Amino acid sequence: MKRQIISILVMQLVIGVAFVQSNASAANNEQAEQLFVRRIIPLFHEKCLACHGKDEAQIKGGFDMRSLASMLKGGESEQPGLVVGKPEQSPLYLAVTRKHDDWQPMPPKEADKLSAEQVTWIKDWIAGGAFWPDDARAKEIAKANSEKWSAEDGVSVKTSGGLSPEWTERKYKSEGLWAYQPVKKPIPPMKDGNSIDAFIAARWPAGLQSAPLADRVTLIRRATFDLIGLPPKPEEVEAFVKDSRSDAEAFAKVVDRLLDSPHYGERMAQHWLDVTRYADTSGFANDYERGNAWRYRDYVVRSFNADKRYDQFVREQIAGDEIDANDPEQIVATGFLRMGPWELTGMEVEKVARQRFLDDVVNSVGETFLAHSLQCARCHDHKFDPVPTRDYYSIQAVFATTQLAERAAPFLSNENVTGFEEKKYLEMRRAEYLEVLARLDDQMLAAAQSWFQEKGIDPARWNAAIANAADGKSPTRTPMSSRREFKDLFNAARNAIMKEGVPEDQFPPKLVGFSPEDYGNERVARKGLERLKWELERYEPYALAVYGGRTRQYKTVFTPLRMPSDRMTAGELEVTCVLTGGDPFSAGQKVTPGVLSVLVAAQQTPIPDTIEGRRLAFADWVANAENPLTTRAIVNRIWLWHFERPIAGNPNNFGSTGKKPTHPELLDWLAATFVEDGWSFKAMHRIMMNSEAYRRGTRHPDRKTLAEKDPTGTSYAVFKPRRLTAEELRDAMLAATGELNPVLGGIPTRPEINLEAALQPRQVMGTFAAGWTPNPLPRQRHRRSIYALKVRGLPDPLQEVFNAPAPDFSCERREASTVTPQVFSLFNGQASHSRALALANRAMKEAQTDEQAIARSFALAFSRQPSQDELQTCLAHWRDIEALLSDTKTVASKPPLEVRRDAVEENTGEKFSFNERLHAYADFVPDLQPTDVSTHTRALADVCLALFNSNEFVYVY
Amino acid sequence: MSTNRFFPGADVRDLHGPTRREFIYSLGASLGSVALSALLADEAKTNPLTPKQQHLPAKAKSVIFLTMEGSPSHLDTFDPKPKLAEMHLKEFVREGKQKSAMESGKRYYVQSPFKFAKHGQSGADMAQNWEHLAKVADEICFFRGCTVDSVNHPTAMYQMNCGNRFGGDPGIGAWVNYGLGTVNQDLPGFIVLPEVSYPQGGAANWSNGYLPANFQGTPLRAKGSPILDLTPPVGVSAARQRKNLDLIAKLNAAHVAQHPGHDELAARMDNYELAFRMQMQVPEVLDLSKEDEKTKELYGVGKDATDAFGRKCLLARKLVEKGVRFVQLYNGSWDSHDYIERAHGNLVRGVDQPIAALITDLKQRGLLDSTLIVWCGEFGRTPDNGVRGGTAYGRDHNPNAMTIWLAGGGCNAGHTIGATDELGMQAVEGKAHVRDFHVTLLRLLGLDDNKLTYYHAGRFKQLSQFGGTVIKELIG
Repeated sequence: MKRQIISILVMQLVIGVAFVQSNASAANNEQAEQLFVRRIIPLFHEKCLACHGKDEAQIKGGFDMRSLASMLKGGESEQPGLVVGKPEQSPLYLAVTRKHDDWQPMPPKEADKLSAEQVTWIKDWIAGGAFWPDDARAKEIAKANSEKWSAEDGVSVKTSGGLSPEWTERKYKSEGLWAYQPVKKPIPPMKDGNSIDAFIAARWPAGLQSAPLADRVTLIRRATFDLIGLPPKPEEVEAFVKDSRSDAEAFAKVVDRLLDSPHYGERMAQHWLDVTRYADTSGFANDYERGNAWRYRDYVVRSFNADKRYDQFVREQIAGDEIDANDPEQIVATGFLRMGPWELTGMEVEKVARQRFLDDVVNSVGETFLAHSLQCARCHDHKFDPVPTRDYYSIQAVFATTQLAERAAPFLSNENVTGFEEKKYLEMRRAEYLEVLARLDDQMLAAAQSWFQEKGIDPARWNAAIANAADGKSPTRTPMSSRREFKDLFNAARNAIMKEGVPEDQFPPKLVGFSPEDYGNERVARKGLERLKWELERYEPYALAVYGGRTRQYKTVFTPLRMPSDRMTAGELEVTCVLTGGDPFSAGQKVTPGVLSVLVAAQQTPIPDTIEGRRLAFADWVANAENPLTTRAIVNRIWLWHFERPIAGNPNNFGSTGKKPTHPELLDWLAATFVEDGWSFKAMHRIMMNSEAYRRGTRHPDRKTLAEKDPTGTSYAVFKPRRLTAEELRDAMLAATGELNPVLGGIPTRPEINLEAALQPRQVMGTFAAGWTPNPLPRQRHRRSIYALKVRGLPDPLQEVFNAPAPDFSCERREASTVTPQVFSLFNGQASHSRALALANRAMKEAQTDEQAIARSFALAFSRQPSQDELQTCLAHWRDIEALLSDTKTVASKPPLEVRRDAVEENTGEKFSFNERLHAYADFVPDLQPTDVSTHTRALADVCLALFNSNEFVYVY
Repeated sequence: MSTNRFFPGADVRDLHGPTRREFIYSLGASLGSVALSALLADEAKTNPLTPKQQHLPAKAKSVIFLTMEGSPSHLDTFDPKPKLAEMHLKEFVREGKQKSAMESGKRYYVQSPFKFAKHGQSGADMAQNWEHLAKVADEICFFRGCTVDSVNHPTAMYQMNCGNRFGGDPGIGAWVNYGLGTVNQDLPGFIVLPEVSYPQGGAANWSNGYLPANFQGTPLRAKGSPILDLTPPVGVSAARQRKNLDLIAKLNAAHVAQHPGHDELAARMDNYELAFRMQMQVPEVLDLSKEDEKTKELYGVGKDATDAFGRKCLLARKLVEKGVRFVQLYNGSWDSHDYIERAHGNLVRGVDQPIAALITDLKQRGLLDSTLIVWCGEFGRTPDNGVRGGTAYGRDHNPNAMTIWLAGGGCNAGHTIGATDELGMQAVEGKAHVRDFHVTLLRLLGLDDNKLTYYHAGRFKQLSQFGGTVIKELIG
């Protein structure tokens, strides 16, 4: 067992110190003191004091490193922490070497270990006498040497100041500060040609040749998926291939055409919503629907399609309501601030829930716009970056008057408000819940009578209470029953009697006579009614939004919140303080609204501390052209969306621990150019896509040299292929079959998802949510994936296995891992089989011969014609399958009108079952069924299934 | 292999895209095959799922994690408080700022409806309705000192399972597989046996989080197809499916020839073959019919009350025997705000015999030493209740006291560690945050939480979030 550094013989130490001091020369003393001030104490602060001194009550192993005396005293090991002059006998030194058998390696985390240089400092310091000058002397030394040291050690950064002077004065390596430097537009290293290519050429590995440019078919497929998330139509491919203009000119036209497509906005919105964590539900225990979140999603689509200036886009999302509270568009835009998962149930402490919102919104703003994960400064000053915790709370103060509400916002003429008639299915469900509750009420009333009879108690008083409640004149309308919209005589009477002070054994217990089924059904119905209030928001002119105002107390939030008329006067005006350790109950120093102090130079408008106006002033700072984080962050994202790798490796983290830009000049040139071009996304796409770097092929002529010269794959000598995202995969199948309904926007759609997942009972706080019922009509279901209802607690399994990100964290870039469940979904799943059948049917209709049908399938799926070999292989397969099918019968599948659920009831711990009617299925029109087509077509569907599962379909080159 | 286990941040994976090898391993992780293991044997050194050395010597090699979702009451199971009988229905006033709406209104102390007795040589306290578990009391190490941060289910659930209250981080099973690899490349290293309905917070409770997808928990669903779309739609015969697979292979072969250097293609092709074989293998693994009748009877399989959880426990033993590293079982809901006598009574009846059988069975097979069993909820419960509506006594959520117990795996069996105050409101002795419990759990598996880190979003992350302390008393 290794020992931990522990106590000391104080006497021995004191003598030791005296001895060393008396023998050391003055010059050596000064050097040793300098070492302490310059290296040792900052190192202790960085690596040791968090556990060995910061919190007096919780000093690890009893070893206190706040003074030489306490270190000499040691900790639980009862040995001195160091022996002055003798590093090899000093536990402190031995522990940081991590090599000594007796002493546990320190700091404990492997990742935190000291560098060889830092270990040497400790050694030299102990050997040199372990000098520990007092504060005054330390300051004097620091002052005298500051110029010399900063030239050698790195740079100071001016901020609003940390919790300790050591943090405030610490030095930074300049390479870690690249993101805070002003963007200066570099001059491209070559005058002619595309500037991007010039910057890439400037860092080109010597002796490496580039891949040839991609052929036109490859290129149009790449560009079309990149800009609209769909495959090119066969006619579009043909037109481009036949275009007699030069490759560059013809391709520029393709890019222009795609940028004009309304689907461009959908594709870009998907990227943006990945970052902002879009979902149609609120997560956690209840996972209530956010009925009007879709309006924010469509706002994003619209904004991209209109090529809205990015600075404006930023301002609207942070402070739309403060820009123009009368413009519904601006209210809708603030939905961004609501994207994080959030709820307040009766099980949670209100202040904690409020703080969760504030922490979430601050971090989200940081990651999304500033490429800074600000949560690292929530509990302490940032460990690596010049972000003091004070800044974190100053930014939080910007949002201290931001309140959550579903605000009135009339529908705009450019919003898709069709399909609202589906509301009838929700109303049918509502009626059913009411019926269940009325039945249970009747049942309890009857059971109550039996109860009185059994107990031999006179029910007169009870009956009077019932009569009163039935008349509606009962004084018993407790807050609980008044919010209920269902027949609830039993509880009304019971509450009335309780209020009268009748002893509890004189009237029936609650839920009297309930069977386990009754308990279960009652909860399902009651929670179901509550959930419907959120779902019904979809069709109402409200927006998932915020308002400026005082903070009011809510015990729970179980129904959409509206903006109160007394928002400026009622409630608490929050005062933001630094929260010690991030704990909402440990308020420290007060702060005022502010920005990241390291970039205060970009702030032109001071942030007021009035209730309204804080966010707008803050947004002006974010969206200021002089804010280097904002402009670099967005062009870095656009680059990632085209090249499958960002220039700076962590698009959500430009701090010193994030990956440095591979082409910093290029990044700055793009950022500056973006601003010059009016913050235009479309202009940026043109610049990037018309470069040779973008148009290069994915096949390198000399892979060996490529691997040698470009081991990190950042030369752009070859284009990087990518797997389609989950959404593209589904949309591309629908596009190929011709089933895709290209309508833009509107209330969320519900495609068919795996039926078992759709109907699996889903827990929501004490009971179960209704199942997933698809839209009745194929054209409603076959909308683009971005419009599919996104339920945090019930992701579409097909989307999930293909790495659609969970919306709890911001997704800076998509993963594309290959795991076996993908095969199950894509090869076995009903959706793939349905699409394959639809593609076969389309190919049959659009072709005269079998050969043409195969060729058509290839053109629709792969944007090319089959080779002779492929054609023959597919024809043979078709015949084989048809032979297999000839003796099998097909049966049309019937939609389930009702589902039976089994669960364990919370009140009883017993199993119970309940039936749920799936109303929308009554009007269900299935997709094309095997029974609808000939055996010949069905057999072709197997060829089509293979096409959809092939590598060529799922990768874009 | 480009991922360094301890310094993955130094890798260049995301710049290159995963190599073919990594892809193949992912398949192994998600359910692999014997053929695959053979294929990989010579590359064992670089396979992230290859069994790895423990950081420190330890007995436990695998874990069966019994999650009692909704949180059992420590006061009505393993932590008796006779004082509550004296206080029964006396009014209780909550102090402090951490008050939720759940705690509003008049509140009363509530005594436990269950009688307690001491069992085994160790004299472990157990409510009398744990009839079967009482017989193996000396195999158990009870821990009464654990505290958590949350009072609501989903966040507490995430904290117990992933260390972080807001979800999205890797589950314990993912960490354990990341640290130890898996000895059976044919099965996922982290298998979850959920209830028909997933727990609050859903699949995020067993996610791989920021770890590679290889380490994700694979739920075997309790009803219907164990894995979604494991088999093709009705009417697609195996012969037809085989032919379709062959066509895909042919199309892919032509394609891969045109795209040399795109390593992902081959991995994706292999994946289809694996999936095809798995369609047969998974039902075999789940088939309990070959177990002898005595064993099934031991677990309570076939008896109405115990059948469901008995099957899960028996399957868990089978999976551990086959080398699965981490099996998590869900049971519940134990969220008995009301009617605790009836609800807890039924729930205990459902799990008592199966859990006791699991301990007994593992022991007689010589597997108990190498298998750590954990039993816990996400928090404890309060000694007081709002007594909403009269006599339907129950208990509310309590993050300050709970009982977790361990069995096997080198735990300190036959001891009760830590204590709560005389009303069971707060842990007072041996008090430790759940992060310390996590660190201890890893330590029992020979893993050092401070070494088991992964670079993500600019910092090295670990299960305990910021590090913790081993609770030595829990280790035998």
